[in-house]
Amino acid sequence: MLSSSVGLPDDRKSMYSQSQHSVLKTGDKTSPISVILVSSGSRGNKLLFRYPFQTVAECPSSLTAKQRSPYALNTSGDSLEDQDGDSREQSPLTDEQLVAGFSDSTLATILATKSDICGKKFELKIDNVRFVGHPTLLQHHTASQVSKTDPSPKREVPTMILFNVVFALRANADPSVISCMHNLSRRIAIALQHEERRCQYLTREAKLMLTVQDEITTMAETNGSPHSPFRQILPKCKLARDLKEAYDSLCTTGVVRLHINNWLEVSFCLPHKIHRIGGNHIPPEALERSLKAIRPYHALLLLESEKVLLNQLPLDCSPAMVRLIKTCSAVKNLQQLAQDADLALLQIFQIAAHLVYWGKAIIIYPLCENNVYMLSPHANISLYSPLAEHFVQQFPGHDLPSMLSKFSLPISLVEFRNPLEAPAQEAQLIQMVVWMLQRRLLIQLHTYVCLLVPPSEDEPGIREEEPLLAARVGGRSLSTPSALSFGSPTSSDDMTLTSPSMDNSSAELLPGGDSPLNKRMTETLLASLSEHEREVILNIPAAQNPEDLRLFARLLHYFRGHHHLEEIMYNENMRRSQLKTLFDKFRSVLVVTNHEDPIISIFQSPME
Amino acid sequence: MTARIECIFFSEFHPTLGPKITYQVPEEYISRELFDNVQVYIITKPELQNKLITVTARGKKLIGCPVCIEHKKYSRNALLFNLGLVCDAQTNTCALEPIVKKLSGYLTTLELESGFISNEENESNTIHLKLIQLRKDPPIVQEYDVPVFTQCKDDFIKSQWDLTTQQILPYIDGFRHIQKISAEADVELNLVRIAVQNLLYYGVVTLVSIFQYSNVYCTTPKVQSLIDDKSIQQECLNYVSKQGHKRASLRDVFQLYCGLSPGTTVRDLCSRYSQQLQSVDERRLIQFGLMKSLIRRLQKYPVKVISDERSRPPRLYTGCHSYDEICCKTGISYQELDERLENDPNIVVCWK
Repeated sequence: MLSSSVGLPDDRKSMYSQSQHSVLKTGDKTSPISVILVSSGSRGNKLLFRYPFQTVAECPSSLTAKQRSPYALNTSGDSLEDQDGDSREQSPLTDEQLVAGFSDSTLATILATKSDICGKKFELKIDNVRFVGHPTLLQHHTASQVSKTDPSPKREVPTMILFNVVFALRANADPSVISCMHNLSRRIAIALQHEERRCQYLTREAKLMLTVQDEITTMAETNGSPHSPFRQILPKCKLARDLKEAYDSLCTTGVVRLHINNWLEVSFCLPHKIHRIGGNHIPPEALERSLKAIRPYHALLLLESEKVLLNQLPLDCSPAMVRLIKTCSAVKNLQQLAQDADLALLQIFQIAAHLVYWGKAIIIYPLCENNVYMLSPHANISLYSPLAEHFVQQFPGHDLPSMLSKFSLPISLVEFRNPLEAPAQEAQLIQMVVWMLQRRLLIQLHTYVCLLVPPSEDEPGIREEEPLLAARVGGRSLSTPSALSFGSPTSSDDMTLTSPSMDNSSAELLPGGDSPLNKRMTETLLASLSEHEREVILNIPAAQNPEDLRLFARLLHYFRGHHHLEEIMYNENMRRSQLKTLFDKFRSVLVVTNHEDPIISIFQSPME
Repeated sequence: MTARIECIFFSEFHPTLGPKITYQVPEEYISRELFDNVQVYIITKPELQNKLITVTARGKKLIGCPVCIEHKKYSRNALLFNLGLVCDAQTNTCALEPIVKKLSGYLTTLELESGFISNEENESNTIHLKLIQLRKDPPIVQEYDVPVFTQCKDDFIKSQWDLTTQQILPYIDGFRHIQKISAEADVELNLVRIAVQNLLYYGVVTLVSIFQYSNVYCTTPKVQSLIDDKSIQQECLNYVSKQGHKRASLRDVFQLYCGLSPGTTVRDLCSRYSQQLQSVDERRLIQFGLMKSLIRRLQKYPVKVISDERSRPPRLYTGCHSYDEICCKTGISYQELDERLENDPNIVVCWK
């Protein structure tokens, strides 16, 4: 079993090792407070296991006064100063105290639900604690089958009817966190149900747990020294250890990997822990929206080295994933990656989305010398940050703030090039840029273009009422929707086309010549414009050149501020210089601005 | 968004029948099956009494607060009851919790004082309740932040607010920063911060940065909403047009916003786009852009990268404090700070 902190880049490791010391994080809204396993059956409702287990001192409500005195001598780890543990106190309680206020038997009663509400999400909120789980019914052979021939009064074999793996959270946890915890509960339940059917695993573990509990209770009554039965259960019960591990992982890295009965794997990640930038988390819905919008011209940037990543993969992972990781590069777009790894583009999208979801990679625009980068508004530029420390270790002789200051103004990589420098310097620069991208210190700026014609001198009022260009141009057949569905991982189109422009750009216009066909095409394209707009455009000197006008008309649907230069280049198979020249020629009706790509900017900055 | 209450119920522990629903409006709303599944959370063990309990089952959410009044006069020596609400399972019921708590407290008092519940006679009573919407915690307000009204200031009813807020109100003009408001209104700095934070919480104001002609801004992807969204368009043109001039055109305003970029100061913008600025107030242009996140401010952060052994470690030049903050805290002007730092080879400046 791999430790979940293996392979993290050094600066992340330092973050996690600190939190592993304090497994209980007070006030952390994305961590659970406790994990509890309950069951219901012929022996009634039972609390089988809970973690963290409080010592008996922390729930005096379930004990008599006689047993209170030894608590002062309690030396087992975190002893609360407040022996009363009254959960109705006014002062803010630690997470421990919130759940500690509930006795085992109360928890068993409220969490072992009726069989009617099994198989569905269960949620219960009591004051400041929220319990979430997925109560699950068990089916088992009836005892009568076993003892058919035995006429004596049947000794009832204790049977479990249902069980519930419950996570206790702070009541104000984000709904998406609650949903994720429920998901994990359900997955563990499925695995347990399966193993129960196969070899009565759960019944056996439950029996072990209850036996230890009975033993400890008897001991406590005879010699009066309280111990937590759950502490004794841990070394004896694999399931208890699994639940503890799930809890610990959720509180720290957010990555859970269990092997129920050393057989069934349950893996799960809490995106809220993985996708954190500067204290905020990226909401999973926003992440998913972005993943649906990535295009073949985007690239996948791994956040860890290839070797480290491959080590983390389970033994039975798909060979396609391995191939992808080995072929992946910051300079290669997804389409090239598909070719090089010999995989369908759709598969590349799916694996890429998976890696991104698990926090192992982000989506960027492939690295090239014309890319323009700038400091991210969320970048940590502090002199004393762990990032600065790590940078010096990685790139001796350089310091991070000086490097970052070079990106204060948008700068393209080509501007760093110094013909007098050795090529090794350039290679190192690329490495530094990749390093900074991985740590969300840089954002990439793209050029966006918008068509805005100067208003006419007369009748400006009427102009205001015309529908916006976006609305007019958007619905046309030659516009980008087909290119967009090409890029969508959910589309079922054939994804193995090598050049999108052949199929769905407007390049079906015959090149060259002033043929009547071309002229008519141009007219059609310009038909979506208002008369005034058309007039202004046709009066531009560059419009007198039919080639230029045709190109302009063909690209018209990109000029609504939502498609950046690189996208147009990719879709239309054009060179940057061609486009820039065109923009310049028609600058009197175009407004140009630079900003980050909103589709992938989520990976650089949390949602506002 | 308010929570829709689908049912109000009163449940109690009957001496012979056990837990039951005595009254519910609308009638028969809670089915037998539903009550069977959740009764353990409605009429509860002692440990759970007086706690606000919300249980989700069968597509419904039930919120209640179980109460127990012990007294010899009751059969079984105790009266157990729970007045609760039922909503759809998807509803966010946080706002209803104080109401349930209040109702349970009220009924308890009524019962203790006049045996209201145990008495069979039906009296009708009116209880006044208010649903308070819970909002996100507001951010910390810094001395160099500038509060600006999100709605028209004239719509603001002064008398509804506390004295401190009333005192600083005339000084909130979208250009004065907290420190300045404190000085001019003669109100202690922390009080101003708290008052403004309160206004922030209710969405009455939002925060922007100090305006100076030397400021640098750049566009965000949201700037496209000026083209896509007609309502933002209209709001913008109304806001930024100069009084007494022809209404600004969308093209002019959009060109101005797009003219803002790293390395360009507002002063530069004014000289480059003087024609467009004939009908546009540049200060309101910037204000609107910041309020709607169409543009963002680029702040300067000095970092002392080379320090000799003898000098103390940098306190303000660490990359954590912007020019705005440093100038506000030390009282020196932007220009002065610039002059000091520009000639210092040990200091680099990062913009973000």
